[in-house]
Amino acid sequence: MVEGDPRSKGAVPHTDIARLKERIEAFLGSAKVPARLRVVQDTTDYFRVDYDDILSLGGRHYLIRHYEREGRFGIDEQPKFWVRRAVDLTDGSLKVIKMVFHERFTTNYGGMVFECVRSPAKEGRILELTAGHPRFMQGITVADSAGNLVRVIDYIRGTPYQQYVSALAGDHEEYYYTHLPGLLSEFVEIAGAIAFLHEHGQTHGDIRRDHIIRDRSDGTCRWVDFDYSCFLRENQFAYDLAGLGNVLLFLAGGGDVTTQQLTREGSPALGHLGPEDMNIIFRNRVANLRKVYPYISEELNYVLMHFSCGARAYYRTTGELVDDLHEALKRTEKEIL
Amino acid sequence: MSKVMEKDRHIMIAADGSENSRRAVEYVADMLGGLQGFRLTILCLIPLPPEEHFESDKQRDEWLEGERINASALLGRFSEICIQAGFPADKVEAKSSERRCPSVSDCLLQEVEEAGACTLVVGRRGLTMKEEFLFGSTSSQVLHDAKGCAVWVVE
Repeated sequence: MVEGDPRSKGAVPHTDIARLKERIEAFLGSAKVPARLRVVQDTTDYFRVDYDDILSLGGRHYLIRHYEREGRFGIDEQPKFWVRRAVDLTDGSLKVIKMVFHERFTTNYGGMVFECVRSPAKEGRILELTAGHPRFMQGITVADSAGNLVRVIDYIRGTPYQQYVSALAGDHEEYYYTHLPGLLSEFVEIAGAIAFLHEHGQTHGDIRRDHIIRDRSDGTCRWVDFDYSCFLRENQFAYDLAGLGNVLLFLAGGGDVTTQQLTREGSPALGHLGPEDMNIIFRNRVANLRKVYPYISEELNYVLMHFSCGARAYYRTTGELVDDLHEALKRTEKEIL
Repeated sequence: MSKVMEKDRHIMIAADGSENSRRAVEYVADMLGGLQGFRLTILCLIPLPPEEHFESDKQRDEWLEGERINASALLGRFSEICIQAGFPADKVEAKSSERRCPSVSDCLLQEVEEAGACTLVVGRRGLTMKEEFLFGSTSSQVLHDAKGCAVWVVE
C-alpha cells in the first residue's frame, strides 16, 4: 500500500508508483492518471476500496473504477459495494472485481421458504470448474493479503438477456417465426451449461434472466454470478431447474405473458385460460402459451406445461429438460423451413 | 425349511421428524410386530448442506450436533414403538446417516442397497403442487427409481 495508508504493510517504492502511473496513462490517457495513488492489498473493508485506488492482487495491479449495480426486473438498481469494475494494468483489460461479502438469508420463492448464502468460495469453485467453458463468465480467484477470496472476472461487453429478447419481441407471431428458433437454439446451449454444473454436483444458485449476458462480440450468451448457494434438503438442483423454466417461459412468450397484460390488450385468450394454464410459481403468468399464441408448436408447449399448475409430471433433472428442448427445437425449425 | 427361508427379511423405514414418517413406523410395527423372520432398520437421514453454508467449522459442528441429537431422540422413540409392538430389541437397528444428497430419494435408495434391505418404507407427506414441483416428492421419486427392492408408501 502506499502513501500513508494505514493498511499498508510497507510503502510501495516511488519507482513502482511511477510505473503504475505510466500504465494508467498508457491504457486510459493522461487525464485519468490520479494525482495520488493508493495501493490496497487487504479488501476486508471493501467500503474503503475507492475509485482510483490500485488493488494489488497476485502480482497484478487493478485500477478501481465504479461500483457494479444490479436490479431485479429492471427496477430498483442497487449498488453492489463489494463489486467494482477495474482496469487490469498488465494488459488494459476491463475486469469485475468481486470482494468478499458473506450474506445469509431466506428466499421466499412463490411462498416456499428456504435458506441461502452468498459464498465467494462457491463461486471460486465454479469459476475453476468452468474455466474455458464458453457459456460461463470467466475469471480467477485470488486471495488478498488478508486471505479474502477475491474474484477477478473478465468483463463481458454485452446486453442482459432480458433486454436482448425484449428488443426482438414486437409482434409475437413474427418473433416466433423469425427469432425464436435461434433464441431457442441458444437457450438449449445455456440450459446444457447448467446441466454440466449439475453433473459435477454444483448449482448456479440464482438463475434468472438478468444473470445471462449476451456477449456483443460473438453473440454467445453466458451465465454470470454464481455465488448464491441455496440448501433444499430434498433436491439440491430443483431451484436451478425452476429458474430455467421461468427463463424459458419468458423466452417463448417474448416476455412475461401475464393476465394483466392480456386484460389490457383485451385478448380473447383470457376466456380460455384456467388455473391449470398458469405458471406454477407465479400464478399471474401464463405457462400454456399455446392458448394465447396458437401457432406455438405442441412440442414446445409440452415443455412449457411442465412449469404449469396443470403439470402431471415435473422435470427432475436439467438433462431431461434439455432433451425435450432438443425435440421442440427440431419441430420449430421444421416449421420455419 | 431352507436356509434362505430362515434368513430374516430386512425392512428399512425412512424416518424424519414428520407426522407421516411416524405413521410409517406405526404401520410397520402394527403389521409385522410379533411375527418371526423380520428385522428392521429405522433410518434417519441427515442431508449435509454444502460447506459454504457454514461460516466456520465450529458452526458446522454445532449444526451437526443439533441434527444428531434430534435424530437420536427420534430414533429412540421410533425404536420403542417397534419393540413395544413385538419386535425383539436385537432385530431393531436405529441408524442415522450423514450424507451429501443430490436428492433425498437417491440417498435413501443408496442406503437400502448398502444395507441389502428388501423393502423400503416411506411415509407420504401430501405436498402442495408447488412443493412437489420445487422440492420433489420423495415417495414418488423412490417409487420411480427403486430397483431390486420393494417400496411401501404409507399414506
